[in-house]
Amino acid sequence: MLRLPAVSRALAVRTSARASSNMVEVFVDGKPVMVEPGTTVLQTCEKVGVQIPRFCYHDRLSVAGNCRMCLVEIEKAPKPVAACAMPVMKGWNILTNSEKTRKAREGVMEFLLSNHPLDCPICDQGGECDLQDQSMMFGADRSRFTEGKRAVEDKNIGPLIKTIMTRCIHCTRCVRFASEVAGVEDLGTTGRGNSMQIGTYVEKMFMSELSGNVIDLCPVGALTSKPYAFTTESIDVLDAVGSNIVVSTRGGEVMRILPRLNEDLLKYENILSPFTHTHLQGVQGSEVGAIAGGMVDAEALVALKDLLNRLDSDTLCTEEIFPMAGAGTDLRSNYLLNSRITGIEECDLMLLVGTNPRYEAPLFNARVRKSWLHNELQVAMVGHKVDLSYSYNHLGETTQVLQEIAAGTHPFCKVLAQAKKPVVVVGSSALQREDGAAIFKAVSTIAQNSRASSGVEEGWKVLNVLHRVASQVAALDLGYKRGVDAIRKNPPKVLFLLGADADCITRADLPKDSFIIYQGHHGDVGAVMADVILPGAAYTEKNGTYVNTEGRAQQTRVAVTAPGMAREDWKILRAISELAGVTLPYDTVDEVRRRLEEVSPNLVRYDDVEESNYFKQAHELSKAVNQSLLAAPLVPPQLTVKDFYMTDPISRASQTMAKCVKAATEGAASVDEPSIC
Amino acid sequence: MAAAAVVRGIGSNLSKNLREVRLHLCQISAASQGTRDFIEQHYVTLKTANPEFPILIRECSGVQPVLWARYGFGKEHSISLDNMNADQVAKALESVVNAKP
Repeated sequence: MLRLPAVSRALAVRTSARASSNMVEVFVDGKPVMVEPGTTVLQTCEKVGVQIPRFCYHDRLSVAGNCRMCLVEIEKAPKPVAACAMPVMKGWNILTNSEKTRKAREGVMEFLLSNHPLDCPICDQGGECDLQDQSMMFGADRSRFTEGKRAVEDKNIGPLIKTIMTRCIHCTRCVRFASEVAGVEDLGTTGRGNSMQIGTYVEKMFMSELSGNVIDLCPVGALTSKPYAFTTESIDVLDAVGSNIVVSTRGGEVMRILPRLNEDLLKYENILSPFTHTHLQGVQGSEVGAIAGGMVDAEALVALKDLLNRLDSDTLCTEEIFPMAGAGTDLRSNYLLNSRITGIEECDLMLLVGTNPRYEAPLFNARVRKSWLHNELQVAMVGHKVDLSYSYNHLGETTQVLQEIAAGTHPFCKVLAQAKKPVVVVGSSALQREDGAAIFKAVSTIAQNSRASSGVEEGWKVLNVLHRVASQVAALDLGYKRGVDAIRKNPPKVLFLLGADADCITRADLPKDSFIIYQGHHGDVGAVMADVILPGAAYTEKNGTYVNTEGRAQQTRVAVTAPGMAREDWKILRAISELAGVTLPYDTVDEVRRRLEEVSPNLVRYDDVEESNYFKQAHELSKAVNQSLLAAPLVPPQLTVKDFYMTDPISRASQTMAKCVKAATEGAASVDEPSIC
Repeated sequence: MAAAAVVRGIGSNLSKNLREVRLHLCQISAASQGTRDFIEQHYVTLKTANPEFPILIRECSGVQPVLWARYGFGKEHSISLDNMNADQVAKALESVVNAKP
């Protein structure tokens, strides 16, 4: 594996005032700049605003220094240095545009292009290709190339990544990503010199939940998106982490999604035309109920709640269950990822309970892995043994183990007591069980005990809940009931399904002449059993507020207009309310958001996480819970990679995701791909 | 303490007229101190007496402390708890409990 020792993390912004006394003075093109010792030449230049060209360097991966494009001249030094790897010394004058630097760049570019095929017109990366951009800016204007170029066979590494290895410039970003971030050491280099090839060597698929990210990393067109290539479709998975994306569209279709900080992708078939008819007039109280699914935005949730409240009904449920006993969802600290995703990088001990974060929240898992690699994080797990891409202490999968840790009799308790910043993460799937309240009580006890033990500082939060659906936190913030028990107990005559496709309630659970209305964008189960289908907008088609598992409210923006007669969900509900005679008091998105603020002000604090407290109170109430733990082992629903691709209605409707599942179960060769150049 | 007496007085009657109670407060401002104290000292008692009733506590930095009460048919009423102490907060809660929608 091509890897040089990682440059130390001392370059990060979190330096104390003390460090300023040993800052080093360096000159970039004559301009002085002060930097911490250990900063590389490339970072120093970036600080001044000078971008040095590079291919293999990436600020989130370890330094390789093999492309040589970042060579710059240092005054009075005999040879140019690789800016990405060389730490600065006092008094250096970095010349980023001198004769020598320019000659070096032209030379490197000439070498890179000598074996690179003339594919620009047919290459997917054209227009956003680092090689194109840098050869225009830094390359020579004429070629001296008269030899023959080498060619390399394409590798089949899965249904998501299209590989044309002839274009590969061997920057090894994909290799380092797979090894460090994804934890899957499948990609590597074989051969040397002219015959060097990047691949898996054996016929193996790059089967990781983060595999699509290498498409974004690859600076040339060697690794591109197979679904996006030459077609109009692309695919996605949505989880409760709320990763930031940029949506690229063409015509009325979402073509692909690029990461902003992290990654998502999407394809869909929409329900196109509505049936306009409503049974809501004349219905009241417990005769009407609603279930909200996993991808509903906060505006729609509040509109639905207001609508039903005005009909004197409180039967609003989420599909995902959350224990009602104890403080339930009164206190936000009970159902959020309190330590935040950034808190993972500070903690020193993590206990995972009944969750497989690798497939439930892959980016959360990537952070844990980063912390495990660089900050010596210890991880322990109570639950079914799964491959998390990092090693952890498997304590067992029975609830017995959980009870022992809560009681203080398990040997792990000693380790927990010594941790300075422990974190306990319970998966929402564990809380869906019949004994969910008891599990929560046990976890809460463990969290309280470790807080009370030596060394944990006052402001540090230990208890965390990792959700799996994007709308759960917003629904809980707004006061929805958790789980469909309320509906089971008092089956309503009219049931409103807002994007609810998890098959929690069927016709059989409701009275014979009940009326079901389904509103959503990708109906599978829910739409099939409904009497009326109202097409709503998907998250790429509306300005919606979603709250992630940390409690951070974020906005989606309109990337494409919704097809056919589909409308934004809250507008549909507003229209229905008028027909039903209980008109909702808002007409614009801003008014809806003002209403959101009236219910829970953190919902409109975009991109911020609000601290929530009262753990002690929550714990006191949970102690009163009288449920006992069931003997069944804690098994999260997603265990291997083939479970990862079809977890919500959008991905279930996707062809590419189906191919991924097939490839994961039967091997790459089983997936039938049309052969395109 | 007066607040404790008021809370005892309310007992299990939260759901008599109300459907939901929401408390908005700031985590650190002085104006929300009374509300914070009230929650710290009396929330558990209140919830134990009314285990099924939603008492949503929503902390958000910089907001003015407010008590929102929701009655049947979506009618809502709010009382500002700005600069009140825990006893006054309890009184405010009592008033919404007893008010007819």
